[in-house]
Amino acid sequence: MSRLPTLFFGILAVFATSWLGLVVYPYVQLGHLQPERSATTGALTPAPLTSSAVAGERVFAANGCVYCHSQQVRAAWLSTDIEKGWGPRQTVARDYLNERPSFLGTMRTGPDLSNIAVRQPNVRWHFEHLYEPGVVSPGSIMPSFRFLFVERPVGATPSPDAVAVRGPHKPRAGYEIVPTQDARDLVAYLLSLDRTQPLPEADGTNGTKRTDGPNAAKEAKP
Amino acid sequence: MSEGEPEPSEGEFRDLASPAEIDLPQVHGSILREHREPAEGVGRVPLWFALLMLGLTLWGALYLANRSGGFRADVFNPVAAPVAVAEDPATLGQRVFMRNCMLCHQFDGRGVPGQYPPLAGSEWVLGEDGHNAQQIVAIVLHGGEGPFTVKGDVFSGAMAPWKALRDDEIAAVLTYVRSSWGNAAPPITAEFVARVREATKDRAEPWSEGELGDLAAPAAGGGQ
Amino acid sequence: MNGGMPDAESRIERAEIDRSLRGPVLFFFSSGVAWLLVGSLLGLLAAWKMVFPGLLDSADWLTFGRVRPAHLNIVIYGWASAVGMGVGIWLMARLCRVALRHRALLVASGVVWNVGVAAGTVGILCGQSRSIEWLEFPGWATPILFLGYALVGAWGVIMFRYRRPGHVYVSQWYLLAAFLWFPWLYATANILLIWRPVAGSVVGAVNWWYGHNILGLWFTPIGLASAYYMIPKVLGRPVHSYYLAIIGFWALALFYSWNGMHHLIGGPFPAWMVSASVVASVMMFVPVIAVAINHHLTMRGHFHYLKWSPTLRFTVFGAMTYTAVSFQGSLMALPAVNNLTHFTDYTVGHAHLGLYGFFTMTMFGAMYYIVPRLVGWEWPSARMIRWHFWLAASGIALMFATLTLGGFVQGLELNDPQSAFMSSVAVAAPFRFVRGLAGFLLMAAHLVFAVLFVRMLLRRGERREEATLLARVEDSATARTEPRPPEGGGITAV
Repeated sequence: MSRLPTLFFGILAVFATSWLGLVVYPYVQLGHLQPERSATTGALTPAPLTSSAVAGERVFAANGCVYCHSQQVRAAWLSTDIEKGWGPRQTVARDYLNERPSFLGTMRTGPDLSNIAVRQPNVRWHFEHLYEPGVVSPGSIMPSFRFLFVERPVGATPSPDAVAVRGPHKPRAGYEIVPTQDARDLVAYLLSLDRTQPLPEADGTNGTKRTDGPNAAKEAKP
Repeated sequence: MSEGEPEPSEGEFRDLASPAEIDLPQVHGSILREHREPAEGVGRVPLWFALLMLGLTLWGALYLANRSGGFRADVFNPVAAPVAVAEDPATLGQRVFMRNCMLCHQFDGRGVPGQYPPLAGSEWVLGEDGHNAQQIVAIVLHGGEGPFTVKGDVFSGAMAPWKALRDDEIAAVLTYVRSSWGNAAPPITAEFVARVREATKDRAEPWSEGELGDLAAPAAGGGQ
Repeated sequence: MNGGMPDAESRIERAEIDRSLRGPVLFFFSSGVAWLLVGSLLGLLAAWKMVFPGLLDSADWLTFGRVRPAHLNIVIYGWASAVGMGVGIWLMARLCRVALRHRALLVASGVVWNVGVAAGTVGILCGQSRSIEWLEFPGWATPILFLGYALVGAWGVIMFRYRRPGHVYVSQWYLLAAFLWFPWLYATANILLIWRPVAGSVVGAVNWWYGHNILGLWFTPIGLASAYYMIPKVLGRPVHSYYLAIIGFWALALFYSWNGMHHLIGGPFPAWMVSASVVASVMMFVPVIAVAINHHLTMRGHFHYLKWSPTLRFTVFGAMTYTAVSFQGSLMALPAVNNLTHFTDYTVGHAHLGLYGFFTMTMFGAMYYIVPRLVGWEWPSARMIRWHFWLAASGIALMFATLTLGGFVQGLELNDPQSAFMSSVAVAAPFRFVRGLAGFLLMAAHLVFAVLFVRMLLRRGERREEATLLARVEDSATARTEPRPPEGGGITAV
């Protein structure tokens, strides 16, 4: 193997197989998916995000939440994710249409967040948890994100969003802790994370029963 | 190092002795002691390795053939398995608790001081001190807005509404709470939850402590 | 065949080549060592933040979610890529027997590369990461890196084009491949993940196609090229089998590139993608065993050299770790195993074993060989080399052991539906503490090496005529029974 052309083309051609197989072809198969529209209510799955939630995605990305929190529910044949309660069904490709890029994650140092909006819909809980996770969730090693909050003087009445602080970082007398827009956006994003609505390709029959829709079965499986 | 060379002077490289050339590069001792550049030998490929390659290739081909879902984009599992887990009704209550309630009320029902009330030994849960089962079903359905007094302490947090849970799920989780961590109170049935849901179906706001206190004990059947 | 000593002409040639490489390669090495110190410090910080979450938690730029990707990107692009480019250029020039021309341009590339790494790191710490693993530098910084790489890759390929006629050695295949694969990987990932991402989970597939291939098709070939050079070169023996080398190279190229989806087993992807990666991951046994046989049979009967040669000690440690970590990886790709190890610290242990235990240790070995030839000085302290080795080896061994065990118990808790999530955090805690301790060992190893490296650059310490060996040859019983080495060769040819 001494000639540059042989090596050159061999090196590139062999690599091209994976580039075509794991990049190009999946983009063809999965790059243009559309949300599912309910026949009865017309609602979309996944539901589109509010603009605050879209901004919240950037806060999620900027602060590296994905390095501790996954967003995938694995199927029952492979794992106990569903039994454990991360979600009622596995997550599939269309569940991530709201995110660029999708935050699939590879670590569960912290809980999976695929359906956190269903498990914890309380906005105030989320603000309190971001401010002092170790106090709100005893045993947690999540760091405090109090830099997403500001301390400001209390007005005539306390803000409805003021965070009730139990731990060591209490506001000074006459001051209150209020979330910044970043914190609000982040919580808006977290409260959009709901993959409990059914999708046909996630029904466990491997798509053999569908006859319509963007991922319709092309031929019946025996 | 070669013999008969002039001693190197301080800080200089060793010269290569070759009288024919004048501008010799300075060659450091480290190059002088090197072997030739490496080359490959002609060892044979062991038979066991060749067999291993063959075996792995066969395994790989079979694996791909059987577990690729026809190479379709909408087949996410290599085996067709029903995604619905056969849920054990006996553990439904615990599972609902761990999924939804534990985040605030904690794994052992002890709550968070000042924030989320304990459930262990709570008079609300046990239906003591003037509390009744209708209240805890109502608060699970529609949420609550503090302050609440539980076991003599005041809690000012808010509880989210869980009306999205099914009647049997709410019944199971309340039964679980009523029978865990030292609690001993009668179970709650799904019918009871359904009746409370119907009776409070126009409720849009979370309950305050006072409003819950107005909820009368149920007339008959299904829990006390 | 090598064995026996080269003639005067080839020595002069090699001296010329080394002299031409001096500036660029030492620049890349210096950059790499500096980034190694910064990257290790950030890694240490991240590790201890997981033990004490309140550590330095008031500033946004020091939050764990930014420090951790800053650590990752600095060690990948600042340390490993820089030292890899330095070693790769040196090896390619030596084996092609071509002196480096227009060296100033290559140094300029190195400067651009460093600017890119620095800018990207600042970007991450300022909150501009997109949380794409292994590609967190913001989109305005990555083109700088691409520009910095362009000349290095071009030089590598051009040197190969203009090589002296003769046999092309296995290291040259690996290096040529690495220089061609990296820009393709980087460009694809940047375009499809940062500049024009599509919606949906498919970006995860591209993300891990990229992440895994950076390890397997950029770092691994450079590491293997170095091991394939250093082991036979120091021993003065040929590599065992040309045929195994061929199998190892092409099987790596074919199978490694399909592995990426094994990071996403169970994820929202069509079954065929995951199955293809599982198969490719297991097929990796083929190239890994081929390389292992080759290295082992080349070393066989000469393991006592590990007592003396720093190059060989670090390189063989790295090569053996390559076999071990690859075996582990192939097994981790099986769904039954992956079920337990996925999402846990087990994966973190595996990643560090690969990038540190294999690649970094191999690069240390290469630097111990190359730097004396560029600087014209021998390593000033055998004791410091020993300290470096033992701190690094024990650090990575401890880190791997604690994360593997910890990840295992964490996985058991995560998979138990009766168990609360928080118990997985609690059982992992002591293992994360020990991992923090291992981080101190590694940090110490790098400080020792940095001091040693600077002393080399400044030519400090006593002047030596012989190679700096880790033990005195005369003290060894083996040395007495070993046939007298030929002049200038044998055990001292390090």
